Amino acid sequence: MTALAVLSLTLRDRRRRLLALIAFAALFLAAGLTARLLVGRGDHGEVDFNQLFLVGGYPLVSGLLLLGWLLGRYALITTLVLMAGIVSHDRSAGYARLYAVRPVSPIRFYAFRFLVLGALAFLLSAALMPAFDFIMLGTWAGPATLVLILAYVLAYGSLTTLLSVWTRADAWITLLLAIVAMVWDALRRAGLLVMPPGVREVITFVLPPQAALLRLEEAFADVQPIPWDAFAYVAGYGAVMLILAGISLLRREL
Amino acid sequence: MIEFEEVTKRFSSPPAPGRPPRVVEAVRQVTLGIPGGGVWAVVGPNGAGKSTLFALLLGFLHPSEGRLRIRGLEPRRYVRRHGAAYLPERFQLPGEWRVGAALQALARLEGFRGAEARRRAGELIDRFALTEHAGKPVRALSRGLLQRLGLAQALLAERELVVLDEPMAGLDPLWRIRFRTLVEELRSQGRTILIASHELAEVERIADRVVLLDEGRVRDVMDLSQPAGAAQQYRIELAEPTPALDEAFPGAVAINDAEPPAYLVSVPDPRELSQRLAALLTAGGILVSVQPAAEPLEERVRRALGHGGKT
Repeated sequence: MTALAVLSLTLRDRRRRLLALIAFAALFLAAGLTARLLVGRGDHGEVDFNQLFLVGGYPLVSGLLLLGWLLGRYALITTLVLMAGIVSHDRSAGYARLYAVRPVSPIRFYAFRFLVLGALAFLLSAALMPAFDFIMLGTWAGPATLVLILAYVLAYGSLTTLLSVWTRADAWITLLLAIVAMVWDALRRAGLLVMPPGVREVITFVLPPQAALLRLEEAFADVQPIPWDAFAYVAGYGAVMLILAGISLLRREL
Repeated sequence: MIEFEEVTKRFSSPPAPGRPPRVVEAVRQVTLGIPGGGVWAVVGPNGAGKSTLFALLLGFLHPSEGRLRIRGLEPRRYVRRHGAAYLPERFQLPGEWRVGAALQALARLEGFRGAEARRRAGELIDRFALTEHAGKPVRALSRGLLQRLGLAQALLAERELVVLDEPMAGLDPLWRIRFRTLVEELRSQGRTILIASHELAEVERIADRVVLLDEGRVRDVMDLSQPAGAAQQYRIELAEPTPALDEAFPGAVAINDAEPPAYLVSVPDPRELSQRLAALLTAGGILVSVQPAAEPLEERVRRALGHGGKT
């Protein structure tokens, strides 16, 4: 197997999704640039939200806040869009059998595909998020941005890959689990989970590592030092998911 | 080379409202030894288990029971180590891929590098007359062209094991002839070729042995390679049944439901045939027609499956 073959197959497969994600990113940048051009700057060169409010009222500010929230999830969105069907599409369309009769290790094949798609998700997000920060705030959050993006790609890319060995609804289930993990973590932090402590910890452990991701998000938002222990936890979670995916690939029928 | 020992494959369907879970045995206790080299055809009605048998052979599926080995290796291990040439029953590639680029990418997966992959893909494009279609997306190909692309991708690398599921489906008459030539080439190279097909006339032309599958079981293994001097088969139609037939042609086999009554007879040569026909006519037999048994395989399959069997 050559890396070039997998790269070529993967890029051909994902061309339309890549274009859609780039268009989606362009929407953010266009919104940011419009805000930048329409209103004045604050004390630190950032877009002045008070002026935005005067220009467009609540709808405009709400729209920009929604864009900001979505932007924070762009790494998750990109990862899900690119990784969806990473294994399952090949299985359902019959391509997996065409690949399987070549002298190629399925683990190497899909590991490389994971790396290619992960790198694409990372690069797209790493281009958009700092660019948007520069446009809106006149600065960026530094390497914490890249660490946060990498954490999202590792956590949710690996989970999607594992699920993809078993089901076609891989990205949808990952999204559902991500939402459940966000809600669960919010309830846990607020002390609203009424259940035996052991059960609570087990569920928290099994769900995607939202608590660790949140710490990385806070470091990104507040321009704080990167919490490497949180990143290590996310990386460990990703590694476990990928190992399980590899074992599943070897065991599962085509 | 290939050994099936009591191989069974079961599939279970999940329970639905008002329906309990169902277990289907797609392949049942298949025991079969396939030596290296030669052309083996697998025939049988729809749902007989032909594609499942191939999926087991290539390691896509694991046997529920029994043991399957290729050169002593578990199939998935064999295929991972040596590869296999494979054309699936419904060959498909992503519709937006270009024909030439797709073959090049698959050639790289076969282990060819850079220029070598381009050269190999180019050879196959020429071989299967896809040159003018090389720049087209796969979705633009007709059924026949797609089948030729499927054959091309299967033969990118020279693999010992060649498994072709319905390879003649969609091919026009000219390409069926070329396919025969291709199989002959592969056979002369000592490859082990397995073909699943409903086209019994074609199978008869290219296969050395035929495995008849029905409801997952091997009903018969027929040897089609006729040694020189072997008896020839003829189909004789009579106006009405007569005991004189058995006297003139001992061992004649009646063809079920034939109208007028028809029989398959074996004689060593045309001279003997003429002598026996003369004896039959002298004894009062009324002959309607005599012809070489055009499709003995079809008749054998029909007999083995019972007259209702459709292939």
